[in-house]
Amino acid sequence: MAKAEKHIPSEREQSFLGTVVNGKYDRQIITGIKKFLEGSVPQDMQGFYSPEELQAIVALDGTEQDVQARMPVKITRHYFEQAKNSKAIQTLVKASPKETYDLDGAEDPGKQLSYSPVEGLIHKYELGLIYVAATCSAHCRFCYREELISKKVIQREDGTASPKGLAQISEIVAYVKEHNRIVAENDGRHPDTGREKLREILMSGGDPMVLGNKNIAQWLAALAEAGIESIRLGTKELAFFPERFDATFFEMLDNFHEIYPQTNLRMMVHFNHPDEFLKKQPDGRYIDHPLGGLEWIDTTRAAVQQMARRDWINIDNQSPIIAGINNDADALRIMQRELKRNGVENHYFFCGRDIVGHKAFNVPIEEAWHVLNESQKGLSGVEAHARLSITHYKGKTEVSAVTNKPMPGVPGGENGVVILKLLRSAEDAKDRCKVTIVGRNPEAIWFSGYDDRVIYDEAELFSMYGIETTALAAAE
Amino acid sequence: MTYVVTDNCIQCKYTDCVDICPVDCFYEGPNFLVIHPDECIDCDDCVEACPADAIYKDDDLPEEKKEFLLLNEELAQIWPSITDQKDPMPDAEKWDGVAGKLEHLQR
Repeated sequence: MAKAEKHIPSEREQSFLGTVVNGKYDRQIITGIKKFLEGSVPQDMQGFYSPEELQAIVALDGTEQDVQARMPVKITRHYFEQAKNSKAIQTLVKASPKETYDLDGAEDPGKQLSYSPVEGLIHKYELGLIYVAATCSAHCRFCYREELISKKVIQREDGTASPKGLAQISEIVAYVKEHNRIVAENDGRHPDTGREKLREILMSGGDPMVLGNKNIAQWLAALAEAGIESIRLGTKELAFFPERFDATFFEMLDNFHEIYPQTNLRMMVHFNHPDEFLKKQPDGRYIDHPLGGLEWIDTTRAAVQQMARRDWINIDNQSPIIAGINNDADALRIMQRELKRNGVENHYFFCGRDIVGHKAFNVPIEEAWHVLNESQKGLSGVEAHARLSITHYKGKTEVSAVTNKPMPGVPGGENGVVILKLLRSAEDAKDRCKVTIVGRNPEAIWFSGYDDRVIYDEAELFSMYGIETTALAAAE
Repeated sequence: MTYVVTDNCIQCKYTDCVDICPVDCFYEGPNFLVIHPDECIDCDDCVEACPADAIYKDDDLPEEKKEFLLLNEELAQIWPSITDQKDPMPDAEKWDGVAGKLEHLQR
């Protein structure tokens, strides 16, 4: 791939970038199973994998079932400390042969490549997503960007094959400006897609917070200068290495805000389980704070508070519901309550995507709905904002309800129905809030589990693939 | 834990790695670059960027290059950080691939 031209910062950008200082971080990352196998990890990490677990993983090296090739093993010291006393976190971060027992799944489940006009940019909705880093401080085994992280060669729509590349500032800025110019010249709508101005960009990856302050600052300034009004930063660093949110980072953000006061920053954080941010007693219980709520890990709380006190920064959490990690209503209830109390909005919970190897991670759709619904019993209205979403090719789709009352005459209807509602829809969102109803299938972990029991398909989630609605016997 | 710069960087110092490194973890001596092992985030980007193929993942270090692991760690504490790419050393092309460059290392 030809290297993009370097972005030339404007004077205003330079006046900001000149103030930015990079911090120094000691994440103490361990990468690869080999270090556990050889015993070259620090003494206290030696038993993190049992000899049997190590053997089972290494036995798959170089085979079709190679777990490490699917997703490299990676953990920080901070996350290890939390994992020691948490089965959920161990499941999240420890490699397991289960991941490749069944390799069924899609390489590009959201068909993101068909919405990628420029390398490293996905422009599906009104918002754009850019890949700015191809790694994280630690690796979630269930990651659905595993092809980016493991640098897998993927098939392109033009027939070529290459690893997914990162976004380049100059190319993204040029795309945003050109898109917005065309929109402005056509009364506020793009003539081909009906989209409005591109106002919002999500910096993703990988994790943008592995980048140095200067690198993040270059993106923030260039995007703001190109006309982006809200910049999202998707990160799991609060869980993996909260010390990254240090004084140099906030100084950089404050300087950015001074020069670009109209730009809103949306931190999209990623906690899966309260064990990632709450202190625990040796017996595993959380600790009541004498003045209310539960006790947080100090560095994590400090980082959240630093963000929350800046009125131009929003913090939203989103998390998939993953087998063995957080398909646990009590854990999710505590998580939603404590996050909201500390200024973090609960945005989405997701059903796992049908990535390669997804069968090791995905919770059946109806169970995920049930777990979330149970978790929200006992939460107040503002604590229970989060919805369960499953990502269809057409857009994010809410699993709105799963009923228990039989609807006779349709396959699966003897157990009730599932009501799906499109929350988002590509381009100009013409299908937003359209509904599909299917007969229940408690085993289904993806849309395909409902192919033979579609009752009503206004949203065309199934008909777009030629799958017809099953007529109600009673109506015939 | 880290990536490691090895002997073929000596007398070449192309610095393409410095340009691509997302966390600025390279440190510069008179005729060699090193990676700070605690700052490196194991992203793998520098391996491909190096025109002299001098950078290895620590797990992949050939036996005869193992000493560079400690050398990187030691020199990263002493040398200044380098964050911008610059021209390679004058005779970089000539030195690329020459055996036994370690004896030319200047501290």
